[in-house]
Amino acid sequence: MKGLFKSKPKTPVDLVRLTRDLLIYVDQNPDSRETKREEKMLELNKLIRELKSILYGNGEAEPVSEACAQLTQEFFRENTLRLLILCLPKLNLEARKDATQVVANLQRQQVQFRLIACDYLEANIDLMDILVLGYENTDMALHYGTMLRECIRHQSVARYVLESENVKKFFDYIQLPNFDIAADASATFKELLTRHKSTVAEFLSKNYDWFFAEYNSKLLESTNYITRRQAIKLLGDMLLDRSNCAVMTRYVSSRDNLRILMNLLRESSKSIQIEAFHVFKLFVANQHKPADIISILLANKTKLLRLFADFKTDKEDEQFEADKAQVIREILALEPWDQP
Amino acid sequence: MAQEIEKPRKVQYPHDSTCYKITDEIGRGVSAIVYKAICIPNSTVVAIKSIDLDRSRTELESVRLEAKIMSLLSHPNILRAHCSFMVDHRLWVVMPFMSSGSLQSIMTSSFPDGLSEPCIAVILRETLNALSYLHNQGHLHRDIKAGNILIDSNGSVKLADFGVSASIYESNSGKGSNSGTNSASGRLTDLAGTPYWMAPEVIHSHTGYSFKADIWSFGITALELAHGRPPLSHLPPSKSLIMKITKRYRFSDYERAKNSKNKKFSKNFKDMVGLCLDQDPSKRPSAEKLLKHSFFKNCKNSDFLSKNLLVGLPSVEQRFREIKLQRLESMNCRSADGDDEDDQVFLIGGVTVKQRRISGWNFNEDGFELDPVFPVSKEDNEIDNDIVKQVRFGGETIIRDRGGESEKLNLQTQLADGEIGGGGGGGSVDRDVMMGSLMFLKKSLDDQRQKVMNMIDMINGEENVEMSRELQLMQVIENLKMELENVKKRNFELEMELGVSQLTAKQQSL
Repeated sequence: MKGLFKSKPKTPVDLVRLTRDLLIYVDQNPDSRETKREEKMLELNKLIRELKSILYGNGEAEPVSEACAQLTQEFFRENTLRLLILCLPKLNLEARKDATQVVANLQRQQVQFRLIACDYLEANIDLMDILVLGYENTDMALHYGTMLRECIRHQSVARYVLESENVKKFFDYIQLPNFDIAADASATFKELLTRHKSTVAEFLSKNYDWFFAEYNSKLLESTNYITRRQAIKLLGDMLLDRSNCAVMTRYVSSRDNLRILMNLLRESSKSIQIEAFHVFKLFVANQHKPADIISILLANKTKLLRLFADFKTDKEDEQFEADKAQVIREILALEPWDQP
Repeated sequence: MAQEIEKPRKVQYPHDSTCYKITDEIGRGVSAIVYKAICIPNSTVVAIKSIDLDRSRTELESVRLEAKIMSLLSHPNILRAHCSFMVDHRLWVVMPFMSSGSLQSIMTSSFPDGLSEPCIAVILRETLNALSYLHNQGHLHRDIKAGNILIDSNGSVKLADFGVSASIYESNSGKGSNSGTNSASGRLTDLAGTPYWMAPEVIHSHTGYSFKADIWSFGITALELAHGRPPLSHLPPSKSLIMKITKRYRFSDYERAKNSKNKKFSKNFKDMVGLCLDQDPSKRPSAEKLLKHSFFKNCKNSDFLSKNLLVGLPSVEQRFREIKLQRLESMNCRSADGDDEDDQVFLIGGVTVKQRRISGWNFNEDGFELDPVFPVSKEDNEIDNDIVKQVRFGGETIIRDRGGESEKLNLQTQLADGEIGGGGGGGSVDRDVMMGSLMFLKKSLDDQRQKVMNMIDMINGEENVEMSRELQLMQVIENLKMELENVKKRNFELEMELGVSQLTAKQQSL
């Protein structure tokens, strides 16, 4: 029978339309368990896979840019992305993965030199909240997480997520017990805080107080090894980025921050110690240290010098040695603060 | 074929180490240990791979990707993780316990000369099912070998260890610099895997490689199952070996003279392996296509394995204990930690020789063997001198002997051409090719260094003048790398200081 209806291959636009129709059906018939629904689900899975092979090519053929552009345009002409995100939990694992790859790819597709995905997301920015909250659902976290990371490639979208209330949730997501989900949340968090320099600098200056209070207490002082290790590394990346210079100067003038960093320096984990050193050196190198920073450093002078005496990286690292020597020199040269 | 929806998360495996009772150690690598354990709440036997993230030199990013891949794959022939969580500074990956262990361990303990053809057929078909699924998902496994094929007591076969697998859909979005993934063309250029099983285009990764590299390793694995070990693996690293290589010594890898059994393999089997070991990746069939090869036509079910292969085998725990004893005995002959032993945990009774450079392979269908072809310098010099020249002058060619006819592998010439072509225009060598060549060179250097290290350990102090040149070279390269890093950092720090002083200037003016 089927052979009779084997018409000409469907165009990318047709495929997107058919997908959208089926998504609407799935969305509106959540509970029907009859075979009809199952058939439609099967067809939907197949369609999503076809969309994927247009965008990525398949074993034999490379993707055709014209077809990709048509697909992208039709996809964002209507609300297909929203439907797909909402229906994702109803799809099976393979279809979820295909859909995630489709969404990821669409973020990079240009139609007449425009990333129309970005325009769409700006108009439908609440979708980002759904994706972020996905970290709370074990089955959806990795799919929504991947989509989210792709969407925040767009600066305006990243800015929205950073400025939304949801950004605070990452401090908890990063510490979820599932390693794969926690690590994914952590990768997204890092992306948010390093990708778009100007947005990050603006966000950090505006939100300095609550952000670093949370960062210190929840991440740097976490009981979870991997949280501390990733947090200290990311802190170094942020503070050493020159676009965050103002934030860095502020951070290294606080005695509370210094206390936390000195605790990290004493960790038994080499990796954490080394990363902590890269932040600690900023406190010491600061040529205008506040009095309380100087007094803490002076009070701990002997301990610090003893620590650095046999502080080594696994591999020989000249720069590290040079930094260390400089830090030692600075500490040795410290004088009690003279009141101006 | 793989579309059944498994719902493994419904069986609960807690993210809490106190819920697991460790009963045995069944594998060990540099930074990972594999345990047999019982999950107390649901009284299921599991395997736990415990990876020390503080000692592991692998980047956290690749650990994340492995965990992600493992939790998103769902196929009866792929070993999937139940869950993973942190226990202090170790990552625990809880997996189904495959009670018969890896095929490599089975062969080491009970079938040193390889398995029978009907058993091999079942194993290879199941492995191909897994590969075909993986490739359809856009993943490369990149480390197919008997050590990564696990088997359960009921004969079910699962592909394991995604420590080096890669996705061509997912370019590393983070820093991205150290990943060779190029999602646009779906090709990879970075080096991964275990040398004996590596495809030629992975070793010479200047043109990039794709799914077909896994097919090559699959072919090598077929030989490994047939003979008990992959081509070349029994050779100890020694000065004499290098001499043999450079003097174009052709050796039969499997010492048939000693191996009086003289196993017969079917024409179909030989043909199938021959297809996988085609020098030209594009001529190798896909996993899906291979499944239709007549070799698999009358293939038995997997319970054939439980009745024929697994009867009377010592347990995984016993095997590991034996291996451990042997290791203790040979401790003093073994060299220090190899760089890439992290992913060797399933390789119970591992291979001791790790890295050797091979410029090509000739599959000898009659002998059912793969004859290695080694790089030989024009002057038939020592191989180490040859390498030094390649690095210094970049124009040396390596002659690859191909069953009598010589073929030039002018990687280095290409490199030089690239530089010229860049100026004059019309040169077809682009950045990727260049990168590939450089990475190949780097890999060669690493290999050479490893080899030198091994030899130094072997000779234990004995003078070796030829080697010292290479060591010097390595040193020079290390120093240069370090200098570059230093300059970068200094630059950065200067900028920062500038920033700080500007800021303080502002403060003072207030």
